[in-house]
Amino acid sequence: MMSRSNMTKTGLFKLAALPLMMGLSSSAIAEQDNKVKPELTPCYAKGLDDRLLCGSIKQPVSDNPADGEIDIHFTIIPAIKPSKPDEAVLGFAGGPGQSATELAAIFDRNLRFARESRDILLVDQRGTGKSNKLQCEGVDLISQFELNDLTEDMDTFAKEETLKCKDDLNTDLTHYSTVAAAKDFDAVREALGYKGLHLYGVSYGTRIAQEYTRQFPGSVITSTLDGVVPMQQSLTAIGKAIDDSMNALFDRCEADANCSKNYPNLKENFYKLLEQLDEQAIETTVRHPRTHKKINLVLTKMKVFSTVRMALYSHTTRALVPVAISEALNGDYSPIVGLLSSTDMMDSMAMGMHSAVVCSEDWPSLTDASRSDHGESYLGRMMIEGFDIACPIWDAKPVDKSFYEPVKTDIPTLLLSGGLDPATPASWAEMAMVEMSNAKHLIAESATHGVVSQTCAASIVGKFIDSNGTEELDATCLEKDNRKQFFMNLNGVALQADNDSESNEKE
Amino acid sequence: MMKLLSVLFKKEVLDASRDKRSVMAGLYYAIGTPILMCLLFSVMLKQLASPEDLKITIKNAEQAPNLVQYLESKEIVHGTGDDVKDIVLEVSDDFAVKMSEGRPATVTVIADKSNEKLRNSISRLERSLARYNSEVASLRLLARGVDPTLMRAVDVQVHDQATPDSKGGMFLGIATLSIVLTLFYAAMNLAIDTSAGERERNSIALLLSHPISTLQIVLAKSGAIATFSMLGLALILVVSKFAYGMVPWEQLGFSVNLSIEFMLFCFVIGLPIALMSASLQVFVSFMAKSFKEAQTYVTMVLFVPMGLSMVTTYDIATDVVQWLPIAAQQYAMIEFIKGNDIPVAQLALSTLVTLGLFGVFSYLSSRMLKSEKVVFGL
Repeated sequence: MMSRSNMTKTGLFKLAALPLMMGLSSSAIAEQDNKVKPELTPCYAKGLDDRLLCGSIKQPVSDNPADGEIDIHFTIIPAIKPSKPDEAVLGFAGGPGQSATELAAIFDRNLRFARESRDILLVDQRGTGKSNKLQCEGVDLISQFELNDLTEDMDTFAKEETLKCKDDLNTDLTHYSTVAAAKDFDAVREALGYKGLHLYGVSYGTRIAQEYTRQFPGSVITSTLDGVVPMQQSLTAIGKAIDDSMNALFDRCEADANCSKNYPNLKENFYKLLEQLDEQAIETTVRHPRTHKKINLVLTKMKVFSTVRMALYSHTTRALVPVAISEALNGDYSPIVGLLSSTDMMDSMAMGMHSAVVCSEDWPSLTDASRSDHGESYLGRMMIEGFDIACPIWDAKPVDKSFYEPVKTDIPTLLLSGGLDPATPASWAEMAMVEMSNAKHLIAESATHGVVSQTCAASIVGKFIDSNGTEELDATCLEKDNRKQFFMNLNGVALQADNDSESNEKE
Repeated sequence: MMKLLSVLFKKEVLDASRDKRSVMAGLYYAIGTPILMCLLFSVMLKQLASPEDLKITIKNAEQAPNLVQYLESKEIVHGTGDDVKDIVLEVSDDFAVKMSEGRPATVTVIADKSNEKLRNSISRLERSLARYNSEVASLRLLARGVDPTLMRAVDVQVHDQATPDSKGGMFLGIATLSIVLTLFYAAMNLAIDTSAGERERNSIALLLSHPISTLQIVLAKSGAIATFSMLGLALILVVSKFAYGMVPWEQLGFSVNLSIEFMLFCFVIGLPIALMSASLQVFVSFMAKSFKEAQTYVTMVLFVPMGLSMVTTYDIATDVVQWLPIAAQQYAMIEFIKGNDIPVAQLALSTLVTLGLFGVFSYLSSRMLKSEKVVFGL
């Protein structure tokens, strides 16, 4: 098998598989067996100037001592003024598969108000970051670009790639589920001597935060869930959210005078493009986004749809979607290439751990009904097909049925949803809070995935944590429209003047 | 000998405490300074900080609706009314055209950069504009199929060695300055009163007529004065602990936290300074011919410790100065709060020198008291 082909295959599989990657992640497990406070050493995180403290504890891999131990690494972002030394804010990263400690800069920014008085604790969830990252060889951009996923035997590629990854890791993924990982977090909490934690989970991080709340309610003071994944919901249901978020973008362009004039029938054109590609992939030569060398690009429906889908996560890239679609129809694939290259952030994702979670929690629970329901959207269908190939190979033990029950708690819980979220729609938060007696759900209509990063919600979360969830929250600032205007040409949002001599520069 | 000294000491303390006005003057300093400074800091922080919602004047906004919206997301908005900062952002008339042509589109920031109250707001506006710049540039490259990270040739990562406690450097300097100076100012009035004052009231002559040595008298007086200095020190430490705790430092990303350990540390290294300060002020007061003259001289002499303390506060002390008394002790105090290693050698030497000075001044004062010229202020 030529390596380029199977690498490409994996790349596409990953694109489809990554339901919730913009979030943050976390880690750690096992029963507490060392009462000694772990040694803390000064350390730094990418993008953050401040001096942090890092350390690790040893946790048994499973109940069976023969399975050995795993080092669970954590980072403390020290409080500015530690007036609450017994408390910390525990941040959970998304993915599943992202490393919380690598995202310290994002957590620091999102939790800056809470940090004024409390430490922020970030733990690499087992299987991610420094806690025995379960990572397989990535795909390089060139192979990803030139793969034709229409003609090649994708199933075989996917199987081989998964088998190879499984061989490389040689780990029983059953020990890397959400349920197992929750114990690590509490062991870290206990080792560091925090009496209570404020949880802050984003995306998949909300699932592990809920599981932690279920297993260790006594350790939780408040819980903030940003982009909520309900325990009852399989991640494969994401397709509808993607379609809704995409349609909202098309509708907005339609309603905007400039956009509808510049890009008429955007939605129809998009589906026309997909249809064309479905019949016949486009083979062309483009410039490598970094080396500028000429490379082959095979543009398929899967690639275009995945690219546009990833662009939906951020308002900055959403602004490029209309121009990308319209240029592609005119035969210029540069904007698509740009967006495609910006999705190549899989390196930070631990795909082994991702599979451990998905194949033991999301895939086994699929029924015929949910399969046909989630498969109604194109990407949902692709995702399920991918799991159907990979999960039997990984052979992770399905999680206990009780895992899918909604979390029942009276701990103050703040749920945040973005109205344009292409991953975790507001209805998911409603589903998650059915058994929560002290929960409040705030929706930022114009936000996408991860409300705190995009809006004023950081200060709302700060107040929520400061008052231990008791204070009445003023959420009016969430109503602010933070969408960005669409690019009208390759240069920006301004329309070209009709009589400008240079206005024909653009082909 | 010791018994005699302790009787004398008690007598001096009793005498001093009867002079309520002098005692209160010293204690006012200890209580008032930290409170006053915290009020000043609070007001200053508020004035220098850029308001959460920064209102400025944006001219020609219709040319650049996207930029205006971007600034709005950074809480920088066009405003009218009293709370609008004196900053104008002028969008050029051809902004939209230039933008669509891919040429640099001009915006002008009009503001007085020498105005301290505006400085933070101006740099916040400039930072936001720079971010907008790079966002649009990144999207332009992305739209051309180029990875925008190409623009970032060097990925600069900063590892700041500071801790939240050490970031308050300048404020720590001022806080420790006020603490060190307490040891001088809290006892100033008492020192003058118990020496030059007693001489004018002729009670010093009465004391000298007893069968005790002049050195014992001087030591007892210095001891009593130092006791009140230490009382002042204790007061200012307690008041500072609470007052500095009220200032919202954390909004600036640092904290000023006077721990119990720090207070004890100050108390220990403050004792030699208190003794030296008392003996110095007694000596200078006896040198003067009258009470009034003593006040002038003491005030002038106190410029020396103040100067030593200042160079440490503003961190302009040279390697040599850092070994001198007062400067070294204050430096050690600052390092203690910052959580750094304490400069033991400097601290030990300067403490020894401080105690040496105490001995020298006491001896000189006792010599002077043997002269009739001094005793009767002739």
